[in-house]
Amino acid sequence: MMEPLRLTALPAKEVPMRQARFEPYVDNGGTVLAIAGSDYCVIAGDTRMSDGGYGIQTRQYTKIFQLTNKCVIATSGMQADTLALRKRLETVLSRYQKEHGKPMSTPAISQYLSNTLYQKRFFPYYTFNLVCGVDEDGVGCIWTYDAVGSHERVKMSSQGSGNQLVQPLLDNQVGKFNQRIVDGPRELSSEQAVSLAKDAITSAGERDIYTGDFADIVVINSTGVHWEKFNLKLD
Amino acid sequence: MSSKHFRFPVFGQVDYFGQPQHSAASYTPSEEKQRTTDPIVTGSSVIAIKYNGGVVMGCDTLCSYGSLARFNNIQRVKQFGPKTIVGYSGEHSDFQSITQLLDDLVIDDQCIDDKSQLSTEEIWNYLARVLYNRRNKVDPLWNNLVVMGFDKKTDKSFLGKVDLYGTCFKDDYIATGYGQHIALPLLRKAYSPDMTLEQAQKLITDCLRVLFYRDARSSKRVQLSYANANGMEISAPIELETYNWDIGEAAVKSFDQV
Amino acid sequence: MFLTRSEYDRDVNTFSSEGRLFQVEYALEAIKLGSTAIGIQCEEGVVLAVEKRLTSTLLEPSSIQKVVEIDYHLICAMSGLTADSRTIIDHARIETQNHRFNFDEPMGVESCVQSICDLALRFGENRKEGEEKMSRPFGVALLIAGVDERGPSLYHSDPSGTFTQYNAKAIGAGSEGAQITLQEKYSKTLTLIEAQQLALTTLKQVMEEAITTTNVEVAVITKKDKKFKIYNKEDLEGLIATL
Repeated sequence: MMEPLRLTALPAKEVPMRQARFEPYVDNGGTVLAIAGSDYCVIAGDTRMSDGGYGIQTRQYTKIFQLTNKCVIATSGMQADTLALRKRLETVLSRYQKEHGKPMSTPAISQYLSNTLYQKRFFPYYTFNLVCGVDEDGVGCIWTYDAVGSHERVKMSSQGSGNQLVQPLLDNQVGKFNQRIVDGPRELSSEQAVSLAKDAITSAGERDIYTGDFADIVVINSTGVHWEKFNLKLD
Repeated sequence: MSSKHFRFPVFGQVDYFGQPQHSAASYTPSEEKQRTTDPIVTGSSVIAIKYNGGVVMGCDTLCSYGSLARFNNIQRVKQFGPKTIVGYSGEHSDFQSITQLLDDLVIDDQCIDDKSQLSTEEIWNYLARVLYNRRNKVDPLWNNLVVMGFDKKTDKSFLGKVDLYGTCFKDDYIATGYGQHIALPLLRKAYSPDMTLEQAQKLITDCLRVLFYRDARSSKRVQLSYANANGMEISAPIELETYNWDIGEAAVKSFDQV
Repeated sequence: MFLTRSEYDRDVNTFSSEGRLFQVEYALEAIKLGSTAIGIQCEEGVVLAVEKRLTSTLLEPSSIQKVVEIDYHLICAMSGLTADSRTIIDHARIETQNHRFNFDEPMGVESCVQSICDLALRFGENRKEGEEKMSRPFGVALLIAGVDERGPSLYHSDPSGTFTQYNAKAIGAGSEGAQITLQEKYSKTLTLIEAQQLALTTLKQVMEEAITTTNVEVAVITKKDKKFKIYNKEDLEGLIATL
């Protein structure tokens, strides 16, 4: 019988038990924001998709997704997770329509999204969402989320890489929560909100390298969901 | 002949003179699940652009083993069904596994025999689901895939990309690997949607040439693939016209004289 | 009709050559033995009225409950093998609560009735893994009353898994007579009070004993409150006095 040949290039003791782990998350960046009024909701989101670093993968990826004719979801974070989340919501929406004979209301969607995110509490969807639209009474509504489903109904919010830049601007222009002198109304008109949204996303693009290229501006009101494209810097 | 009692000797790895060790405790990961945590045999960039009337994709034929140019003649593009071509960068073996998956998919689809074929977009979407699923298992297929095709019925070309996270998008021009850093900026500058086939070919070969100059894991043996109204074609490997390296020799000679 | 019955009436999963499932039909018969239950829907809401058979003077009337809550906005009256309704009601309560959990809103009435009927035909051997064993069809029929965004509605479901919406419906032993009365007296313009009175007078006609506060149960669910109310002794006294 033949002697077994021993491999000596890597002595047994020194074989590295290296457990290189694949990092399953990537942040594709991007900013989304929304402003709600008494009868409208304005949503803005840039269309840049970064590769997790300095690179731009595409300039044409829209972060806003229409769920019903009263509701959209705006998502920043990891694109692959976003797509999976959208697909899940889409199937639930169509099932709901068939089972209950009506489209899912925006508040119902907001609750369902929270549950969906929390179900993946220990391997979360790396997504930062805004559920925006009008509720059953036609009042503009926004729910803002963290990655694991904490949520809150608000008048205005932003998510994503430009969040830190945009949120204070919205607080200053719409919320005016802690201002000594409040000049002008807390409620903007739909046109003012669109103009503010454009300014906000443009400003985010000034300083945030993950925000830019183009912006989708979406207005939801009693007449439906209206899309508009808006140019940002192509840097 | 290959069994646990015998291994083919590998030069430099066999200790012919050492003491026999019966409890040869060489590390064999038998119980652990095997997964790609590091790509081993890898292909570098793939670049592709849409032009007026179709799509062109280009990539070299090299698969490296780390920094070793290990396999010099590997086709890094493959056709699936009558209207789709997929090119990859990243782990070669993972792509072979994807190849099996897609071949099965296409054959099953053909067996249904309903005159309907998987569109390029459907294949692209399927790939995105497969790669996303594997990343969810933290066991990724280590590839960047570029999917292109042309639908003769609708006269529409398709170009999309999927990466190992399941990220997927469509665009007019796509580059993977080092091409993302080197070719993509060039494409952005030179690209126009109403390019002719010749212009597109030239742009792709120019990019591949630049990549050959700067990407140490690339070669000048390249293949171009086409999807247009005439059908699909993967060209035979061609050698890129490159800089005349004789000048380098002259420089070395002159260096000798100093 | 000769031998068909005895050959085919045992198996819950086999049709007779005439295309009938006898076990299901027998289950429908079981309902005709049950106490009468009446439901009437009107613009303002829905009324359910049920007869309680007090077979002994020693029986504690409150231990018989034939109108039960599914959710705030959904109630249900039953007739037949009322023990079977436990399974159904449990199922419906879970479904409605799940709906609230998932969507933060009350479940639609029809959706709830649908989910009840989904359960009704899960008898026989071909059940899925993990599903509860059900060897025979349910022997109970339900009147389900509820209010949702479409307004008040009344549904009837039976052991065959069929559900139908009604303006007014009677089930149980006295259902034939009661249904004729309802047919005559029902009008879309009934007020909630009139609907209650109609339900009780109809019930009175088909009951063997005189109506008292202990041998009937009445529940209403109003469009305004979207919340049910099961009548207590005082409420019933007041209502019976108006008849």
